[in-house]
Amino acid sequence: MSRSFLFLPGNNPGSLQNLDIFNADSIIIDLEDSVTFDTKDEARDLVYHFLSKFMFKTPSIYLRINDISTPFFNDDIDVLDSLEFKGYVLPKATKESVISLSKKTDKSIIALLETPMSLVKSEAIISLKQVDAVLLGAEDLTTAMKIESTVSRQEITYVRSKLALECAAHETLFIDTPYTDKDDLAQLKNDCLQAKILGANAKSIIHPNHVDVVNTVFSPTTHQIANAKRILKKAETHQKGAFNLDGKMIDKPIINRAKNLIAQAKKYQLL
Amino acid sequence: MTKKPIIFSYKQLPEEIDIHDFKNISFHHHLRNGDTVLNNVLQIYENEHVKKLNLFPSAIFPAYTKILDLLKNNQINGITTNYMNGPVADYLSHQPLPGKITMQTHGGRARRILNNQTTLDIAYIASPYVDPYGNAIGYKGKSVFGSMGYAIADAQKAKIVVLITDKLIDTKLEDPEIDGSYVDYILQVDSIGDTQGIVSGTTQITTNPIGVKIAKQTTSLIKELGLLKNGFSFQSGAGGISLRVTENLKEEMVHLGITASFFSGGITQYHVDMLEAGLVDKLYDVQCFDLAAINSLRKNTNHMPISASVYANPEDPNQVIKDLDIVILGATEIDYDFNVNVTTDSHGKIIGGSGGHSDTASESKVSIIVSPLIRSRIPLIKERVTTITTLGKHIDCLVTERGIAINPKRQDLIDKLSKTNLPLKTIKQLQEEAFKYTKQPKKLKKYDTMIGDIQDRTNKIIDHLYKK
Repeated sequence: MSRSFLFLPGNNPGSLQNLDIFNADSIIIDLEDSVTFDTKDEARDLVYHFLSKFMFKTPSIYLRINDISTPFFNDDIDVLDSLEFKGYVLPKATKESVISLSKKTDKSIIALLETPMSLVKSEAIISLKQVDAVLLGAEDLTTAMKIESTVSRQEITYVRSKLALECAAHETLFIDTPYTDKDDLAQLKNDCLQAKILGANAKSIIHPNHVDVVNTVFSPTTHQIANAKRILKKAETHQKGAFNLDGKMIDKPIINRAKNLIAQAKKYQLL
Repeated sequence: MTKKPIIFSYKQLPEEIDIHDFKNISFHHHLRNGDTVLNNVLQIYENEHVKKLNLFPSAIFPAYTKILDLLKNNQINGITTNYMNGPVADYLSHQPLPGKITMQTHGGRARRILNNQTTLDIAYIASPYVDPYGNAIGYKGKSVFGSMGYAIADAQKAKIVVLITDKLIDTKLEDPEIDGSYVDYILQVDSIGDTQGIVSGTTQITTNPIGVKIAKQTTSLIKELGLLKNGFSFQSGAGGISLRVTENLKEEMVHLGITASFFSGGITQYHVDMLEAGLVDKLYDVQCFDLAAINSLRKNTNHMPISASVYANPEDPNQVIKDLDIVILGATEIDYDFNVNVTTDSHGKIIGGSGGHSDTASESKVSIIVSPLIRSRIPLIKERVTTITTLGKHIDCLVTERGIAINPKRQDLIDKLSKTNLPLKTIKQLQEEAFKYTKQPKKLKKYDTMIGDIQDRTNKIIDHLYKK
């Protein structure tokens, strides 16, 4: 499980060379929006040679390929699929495009939901077994809906909640939309907290300087870790199932949540 | 105190001073790229066909183009300076002088002038605010530049001192930076330059992710070394990463509720903000890097202009940097022995100089180099630097985006850090990481025509410059 998914342009050698220094849990190398139409081949070649030479245990590497309606979709997969990387981010994902992609690869798929129709039909996409995570693309969505992107992000409250619920129902990771103001780290934190409260498990990022804030918000807090430890300690001595801790009933789902939280804390070296 | 003779134009200079006889002439660089005094004075030397000049500007900036004309006319014998960059530096990298280039440090220059090892015949001192008695300050007037630190030794020791000003007041100045008793002439002109020219491109806090990461690691290093404590002292210079470290330290200081005793060297808005927030007691300012620093010097009594000697002369009993805890410095190259080059590029072309680099590294309790491991596909770490600016024995730590190397000579620091989570590596390990991406660069051709010396603040020649 990753907290942070950092987009880096696939046509920039300097960015690729440094992809492992920003502390992002996952990197999304972008061949789509950050690469101009006339340099698609160039970027694909660069990524091919880079990933042929350098392999990474951490961070996990994903490639955002071009969407299925473009002539580059098949080229991207045909050239790059044999390389070592975790999976694909599929832009403008639909049920059909996910199925098409999954026929060409065994790698993990993150469905990027960024059109009104994909949000209407989101559960059908999330329920596909090939989809490991969904990523909300709020900028394209709000543009398509002809609504303003606001600082408060009130306009995406519903879609965040909808995706969070559907992802939880299908045990799929929900990655929130990126925050686009490069320099406003205070508002970034608010945006992360809001997404987390609604049920997002992670956040996508478009600038490396955002990674620390995102990782912090989506990590267990010191208080949560201490509480989880107490729950698990008491659970060891109570074999009957439910028990009382600080006046609250603790049962199996809460114990499981505590176990997950401790596992996360270990993974992020917070213990 | 007597009123000084006033000269009313540059053209009148040869009538008052025998410029043919006095060959060693000095300038300061406080107006940096905004300075017009150096070019206008040297125009007179060109007009008068003065030969065999020895120039002693405290630094040479790209705007100082008249030096180039005199070089091409073969009018210059030697140049002694602390830093040079731009067309003059490019030219000198390829064309040897009849004499030589001598690169000094800020403290070393002051030391040699004050103990008479350097003989200055005429000091031409751009001065924004002057009284009739030759007293001057730098932080008032229409062409303000703040502290006059680099000109003070010149004023005290040059045989002839000429203040060049565009603001001559009627009343006597109290507490001047340049004491009128040293001054011989006042040259009154329309303008000594453009204040805006003092702001260099580097005085902005970096937002580059690599720089941000290095600054963050540096802040952690300072904390883990136990240096961030009440009353600590600090110098950061004006580089983007260094300023980011300053900003990070500010947040830590607020969080910890501690204050610093002083910041020294070149001063920027970021340092001023901390003074005004009560986070640092004093700013010792040898050079203002932006307009906020100049304004602060005028109004804040705890923001004090100091001379280059008080700043960094090892023979000055009041030397400020002897009490410095931490200095953050840059590097163009660093080698296995932690020698640092900020004077030439890897091809030997002159692109800078020590300034206060070597001085502060020598004196501070901990010196920290901050730099990306790879710059434009060129790895930072070399087996041996092209030119030694600061000896490795004075450099304690190197912080890059891929880890931190501590000079093995500082076992005390290594011991302190051994139980921390900091990414400590040897300097060779860091080099190997860079080579993964760049491969090992080809060894460059060695040049053998010596054109100049690198002079340490102790007067030792620690390296040479070679013709490309």
